[in-house]
Formats: sequence, C-alpha cells, structure tokens
Amino acid sequence: MALARMSQSRDDRVINVVVIALALIVLVVTLYPFYYVILRSLNEGVDSAKGGLFLFPRRPTLTNYRVVLGDPLIGTAFLMTILRTAVGTVAAVFFTAMVAYGLSKKQLVFRKTYSMIGLVTLYFSGGLIPTYLLYRSLGMLNTFWVYIIPGLFTYFHALLFMAFFRELPQSLEDSAKVDGAGDFRIFARIVLPLSGPVLATIALFVGVFHWNDWFASAYFVFNQKLWTVPTILIKTMSSLEAFYRVAAAQSQSIRPGAEMVTSEMLVTMESMKYATIVVTVFPITIAYPFLQRYFVKGLLVGHIKA
Amino acid sequence: MAETTGVDRVAPVATVPLIRRFRGQLQLQLMTLPGLLFLILFAYLPMISLIIAFQDFKILMGYFASPWVGLKHFTWALVDPEFYPAFRNTVLLSLYGLVIGFPAPILLALLINEIPRAGFKRVVQTTSYLPHFISYVVTAYLFILLLDRRGIVNDVLLAVGLIDEPVLFWTKAEYWRLMATLVNVWKGMGWSAIIYLAAIASIDEQLYEAAIIDGAGRLRRIWRITLPNITGIIAVLLILNMGGLVRAGLDTSYLLGNLFTRETSYVLEYYTLEMGLELGRYSFATAIGLMQSLLALILVVITNWLSGRISGRSLF
Repeated sequence: MALARMSQSRDDRVINVVVIALALIVLVVTLYPFYYVILRSLNEGVDSAKGGLFLFPRRPTLTNYRVVLGDPLIGTAFLMTILRTAVGTVAAVFFTAMVAYGLSKKQLVFRKTYSMIGLVTLYFSGGLIPTYLLYRSLGMLNTFWVYIIPGLFTYFHALLFMAFFRELPQSLEDSAKVDGAGDFRIFARIVLPLSGPVLATIALFVGVFHWNDWFASAYFVFNQKLWTVPTILIKTMSSLEAFYRVAAAQSQSIRPGAEMVTSEMLVTMESMKYATIVVTVFPITIAYPFLQRYFVKGLLVGHIKA
Repeated sequence: MAETTGVDRVAPVATVPLIRRFRGQLQLQLMTLPGLLFLILFAYLPMISLIIAFQDFKILMGYFASPWVGLKHFTWALVDPEFYPAFRNTVLLSLYGLVIGFPAPILLALLINEIPRAGFKRVVQTTSYLPHFISYVVTAYLFILLLDRRGIVNDVLLAVGLIDEPVLFWTKAEYWRLMATLVNVWKGMGWSAIIYLAAIASIDEQLYEAAIIDGAGRLRRIWRITLPNITGIIAVLLILNMGGLVRAGLDTSYLLGNLFTRETSYVLEYYTLEMGLELGRYSFATAIGLMQSLLALILVVITNWLSGRISGRSLF
C-alpha cells in the first residue's frame, strides 16, 4: 500500500477530484427527487403551483399532512397496507424458512426431485391470466388472502435460506437430537434463533414487496376498503390525468369560473398526494439502513446459487 | 456440506429401503412437503392451464369442456391492429434499456470502486440502491412531479432559456421511451451495481500492485485489469437480459405511461392485461403471453449459443 501512495501522481489527484464530483452528482440525482416531493408536501399547494421551488418551502404548512392523515379512505388504506405487510411478511418468512430447512438436509429423501420442482419455478411461470383464473377458482379474489397466500413461498428465497442453514454448525442440532427433540422443535428452537441475518434479509425483500405492490390490490380486489396505499395513489394519478384533458378541452371553450374551481381542487389533491407519498416512503427509508448490510450478502449468495 | 446425522451413521444410507428412510424422517418431510404442494398449486397449475391459449376458454365451461381451437388465437393476435404497435414498443423500450440501462450499473460500479475515501464510498453505495426499494407507483409520481409544468426541470430549462414555455414532458409520446429508460436507470442502477462491485472486490490485489510497478496509471488499470476481470459476469448478465428484449415490464408502461403517450408506451404486458382482465378474452391474452415467453426463451438460447461461439462463454 505504501507503494500505491508513492505513485500518487498529479494525474491521480485529478482523477480523485473527478470521481468525487461524479459520485456527488449520483448522490444528488438519487436523493433530490425525494427531497423535492417532501418540499412540495410541506408547501402550500396554491403557492407551489407558481413554480420556482427548489430548496426551501416558501409558504410552509402542515395542512397537507393533516388532511391526508384525517382522510378516511387513505387512513383505511394505510391500515390495510400495514396489516398486509405484517401478516404477509411474518407468514412468508416462517413458512419459507421451514420448508427450506427441510430442503437443506442432505439426508432428505427425494431431495433431488424436490429441488428440480423448485428450480423450474425460477425460470417458468404461467403468467397473468392463468394466475388470475387460479385465484378466481380458489375464491381468493376480492379477499384479504389474495395478498398473503400467493407470496407465502418463493423458491429463490428458499435458496437463500438453504445456503445459510448449511453453514450452521451441525453439532448443536445433533446434540438436540440425542436429547430427543424432533426436527420441527430443532428448527424452531435452535435454528431460527441463530438465523437473524438471513431472516432480516428475506423479511426485507418480502416486506418491501408487500408494502409496494399495487397490482394485486388494483386487479384482484374490487372492495375499496381492502385497497392498499399504492393503489389509492394510482387512482388519484389517473384523476390528475383526467384533469389535464378537461383543462385542455376547457381552454377551447372559455369558461373561467369552471376552470378556477377545477384547478383549485387539483392543487389541493396534488399536495395531498405528495404528503401521501412522503408517508409511504418514510418507513422504508427508516428500516433500510439497518438492514442493508445483511441483504447485500444475501443477494450475492443468491446470485451464486441461481 | 452438511454432515449426516447420528441416526444415518449407524446404517449406511444406501442399504435402508427408501420407504423406511422416508418414515424415519417423517417430521422433516412434513416440514418440506407443504412448500412443494404450494409450488404445484401456485406455479405448476398455472403453467398447465396455459393450454387455454389453444382453447376458446369460457369460465363457466372450465378447462375440460371449452372447445379446442388450435392456433386460432395466435393467428388472430398477429393480425390484430393493436398487436404490432405493442410488440414494437416492447422491443424498442427494451433496446433503450439494453443500450442505456445495461452499461449504467457497470459504470456506477467502476465509479464507486474508484472513490478514495471508504466512508464516502459506503454512503454513495448505500444511497444508490435506495430507489430499488421504493414502489414504482411512487417512483412514477416523483418523476412526473419533476417533469411537470411547474416542476424543477421546466423551471431550470426556462431559466436557462432552452425553452420559452413549460413542456409537459410526461405527456409527450416522443420523449416517453427516453424518460422511461432514465427512470428505470435511476431506480435499478445501484441495485444492479452490487453484483459488479462484488466481482471487482474479488479481483486479486497483486494484479494492481504489479501494474503500479509497471507504471500503469489509474485509467489504464481500470481498462486493463478491472474491466477484463468482470467481463465474465457481464457476459452472463447480458445473456440473461436478452430474454428481456420481448418484455418491457407492466410497471413502466402502466405507471409512467398514460393516454397521451400510448403511441410509444403501450407494450405487450399492458396489451395482455387489457385483453385478459379488462375485456375477459382469456384465451387470446394467454396466447400473447405464451408467445412472449417462447420468444424470450429463443432469444436467450440464441444469445447463449452466439456467446459460446464468439467468446467461449456460455451459460448452459
């Protein structure tokens, strides 16, 4: 390393400056969209519509958040998203870990067959329509369970668990077996408590999927009370689109009164939407710095396995 | 890797009959089998019901009573006026993704690797994959907001004098592909860079030291050592990505696209969704999905074969 420092030439220092400058640009480009939406959510809507907001709110207000958190439809959607994420993640992580524990055992009879059955699902799937028809015939459409059950088991996640379980010292399990503990007991009492990192990784993957998914809620559930936040956001997004069409049509036939009402409604709706986005993104940005050191490792193991 | 347990060590595995061994590990089997049943129900059953692409499937008649129609839906799809634009948009968007989106994480990994301070390096890397965890719904919103009439992009362009009037970029079909591709780069670049960074980290340090002794500068070392040592992983990921040329992703099309941009943003996945779930043409929509999967498979196999012939690297 002393050698490397010796060769620090002028060129090297120039490159360092360029690298740091580029890295700063990456940092800003990644983070600024988040900052901008926070900025807009904290600024009064009518004022935001004038443009020119870059760094600080001009007319700071918490009204948008008050409206969003008080809105019954959005409130229900948040509760539903939290419920879906909690139930879906706990169930999927436990179920996948249990199955993967069995699959990780060399002495498991039919293990090769089971692995083949699993591997095929990594590369082939029935696609949208057959899946929809299956949920339909199982009576899962328009129920809470269409969020939970299809996500219970993913073979890719099982592979990550298996790689981790194989690294655990076998002696602990052996001595428990001598004491007469069954496989399930060993799994639940000895293996799971030792599996913190892989549990955190899979929980993050599954949890983020449940938190972010919009499709199940938009196409498999018609009952608005079961909708999750991303779906609510989509519904307002399309009304925004509708507004522009209306506005475009109105500018043809001039009716000033009507346009004023619509644009003010739009402004309120927009600011509410930004507040919703901020509230939606918040839990992820809080959770992920703590979990990220685990999942990088997990992802790499998965790549090698798959 | 796992050692055999004490039970198995008593009698050599091969001499005990299969059924006895199975019963001896009943609890382990009962933990595993629910997962297998799950896969058969939720992964294999839908694969089998792909046969409805060759039927005139009616929900009330089911899989067995619906009449068989051969390739009717496939030939109809090919002459359907919506099919060709959707196909073209899918391939074009994927090509944009391949040309702009595929090299981006490689460049990012090279950049992150060159950052001199370990702390700053970690901050940049950790931040770069944050967008991967953000819902596409939110992502689409963030960028529509930035590109809106009163968004920062218009503000800046107006201030600089590049445009005289705000442009609603997200409603312009002609900008849509580039916009969608850049949004996807923003969202996925950091996450995809992880694998390249790991490959770079596993390069033998001695190679660099030898190069330094030989007087090779930083850029030369990147070009002569870092890049050649990750071409293997680049080739693998490129082969895997080729199947994606006939897939554009519903998220991008559905959430970033809209009625104004439909001319360029309407892709096969959206077409399948509209035909199947919105119009109830299940067999027709399944036929489109099946064609897409077959094309993807063929593309991967061809790329793999080509790569094997040209560079000696292939996956299977």
